[in-house]
Amino acid sequence: MKDIILWVFGIDESALADPVTITAIIATFVVIAAALAALIVLLVKKRFQIRRFGNKVWQRTKLITQACFFMLTNSFMIGWFKGTIYQGKLKYLCVPGMNCYSCPGAWGACPIGSLQAIFNDFDAKKSWVDQKTGTYVKVPKYWFAFYLIGLLMIIGAVCGRFVCGLLCPFGWVQDLLYKIPVKKLRLPRDEMRIANSKHPKAVRFFLGVDKYLRYAKYAFLIIMVIFLPLLVKADPWFCKYVCPSGMLLGGIPLMSMNRSLAAAAGNLTLLKLCILASLTVISLFLYRPFCRYICPLGAIYSFFNKVSLYRYGIDDASCNRAKGCAACAHACPMGVDPVRDPNSLECIRCGTCAASCPKKAIRPGFRFKTAEGNAIRTKKSK
Amino acid sequence: MGDNMKKESKASRYIIPAAIFACGVTFVIIGIADKEVLTVLRKAAAICMECIGLG
Ligand code: SF4
Ligand code: SF4
Repeated sequence: MKDIILWVFGIDESALADPVTITAIIATFVVIAAALAALIVLLVKKRFQIRRFGNKVWQRTKLITQACFFMLTNSFMIGWFKGTIYQGKLKYLCVPGMNCYSCPGAWGACPIGSLQAIFNDFDAKKSWVDQKTGTYVKVPKYWFAFYLIGLLMIIGAVCGRFVCGLLCPFGWVQDLLYKIPVKKLRLPRDEMRIANSKHPKAVRFFLGVDKYLRYAKYAFLIIMVIFLPLLVKADPWFCKYVCPSGMLLGGIPLMSMNRSLAAAAGNLTLLKLCILASLTVISLFLYRPFCRYICPLGAIYSFFNKVSLYRYGIDDASCNRAKGCAACAHACPMGVDPVRDPNSLECIRCGTCAASCPKKAIRPGFRFKTAEGNAIRTKKSK
Repeated sequence: MGDNMKKESKASRYIIPAAIFACGVTFVIIGIADKEVLTVLRKAAAICMECIGLG
């Protein structure tokens, strides 16, 4: 038992002489037990049946689930107590969401950071010094990240962007910020509401901006996660110059607990703090700006939404859209119309639409027929 | 028509994700054999200075 604990926590026996370490290990078990207990209670109370209890209960269930998943994946309490990070073997594995591996509590690796690390690795035997310029020319060791892409394919094939809706810690942080009661920026989507709004031209303009900005996350993925780390300079470009999750989950806690790290803060720290602060402010007014426009992991998972096992579908026989109902489209915080495209690349599987539908016509899950035998449409409507 | 729809749904519902899943598992095995996991561990087990804004 002791050996298992030492292996899991990545510490050696001498560390057990430290009372702080012992307390932290006990705290870890308490946190994990609390998270599992909360999830089991939700399961027993059937709270994961999204359509059953209405949107209010579902939103609460969702936030608790996100908190529990954060607790499970960031409960290395030795790190939180001592201002260090986990160095054990579990870090071979990636967590599904945007979770910095330099977070003091993180048990696993961040998929986007790991992807860049693989592209940054170079082959020392094939690399050479350019005699003319005197620079060391690094030849990448891996031209394709089989391990990481394989892991993302496994997760994506099962659940697509469900990870964004319920499992990603940075998504959870943005959800919490959006809960703060200030006036929200929500644009009408259907023609009638746009025409009836005070400034229809401005609404159309911002809808266009929003539409095109959403492609930016694919640009971040291609340029900052793949192209620059692989072909230009061995640096984790996205982590270094953009990722606010690294600053929030790694930088701030580590620097506040570790003076030598805080002393090393400089211009880059300032840049990343500014990015984090801006996103925090925008998140108060706009739902999940990072997930909409920036996140390369969300961009990867979005490709799986249409083909994953867990998919959204519409029971057209129950749906009241023909009679003018659009409750789901108005409820969707990501601006998706689930009846038109139940598996849109932008859908983060947050369940809000399914919980808000008065006819319970939105069917998240694994089936292609309802219990009554109605077909469930997973494709776009014509 | 109904039967066709059913068959089509079944294929896209289960066979495509299963194929992607199997492909993912194969990739993971190739990655482990190629020691990509060591790169991941090496990076993840040390404080990433770039990630925390000190890089
Ligand atoms: S888009 Fe990125 S940050 Fe947002 S929830 Fe998905 S993985 Fe997390
Ligand atoms: S369509 Fe919108 S409300 Fe429904 S699950 Fe997707 S993101 Fe959430």
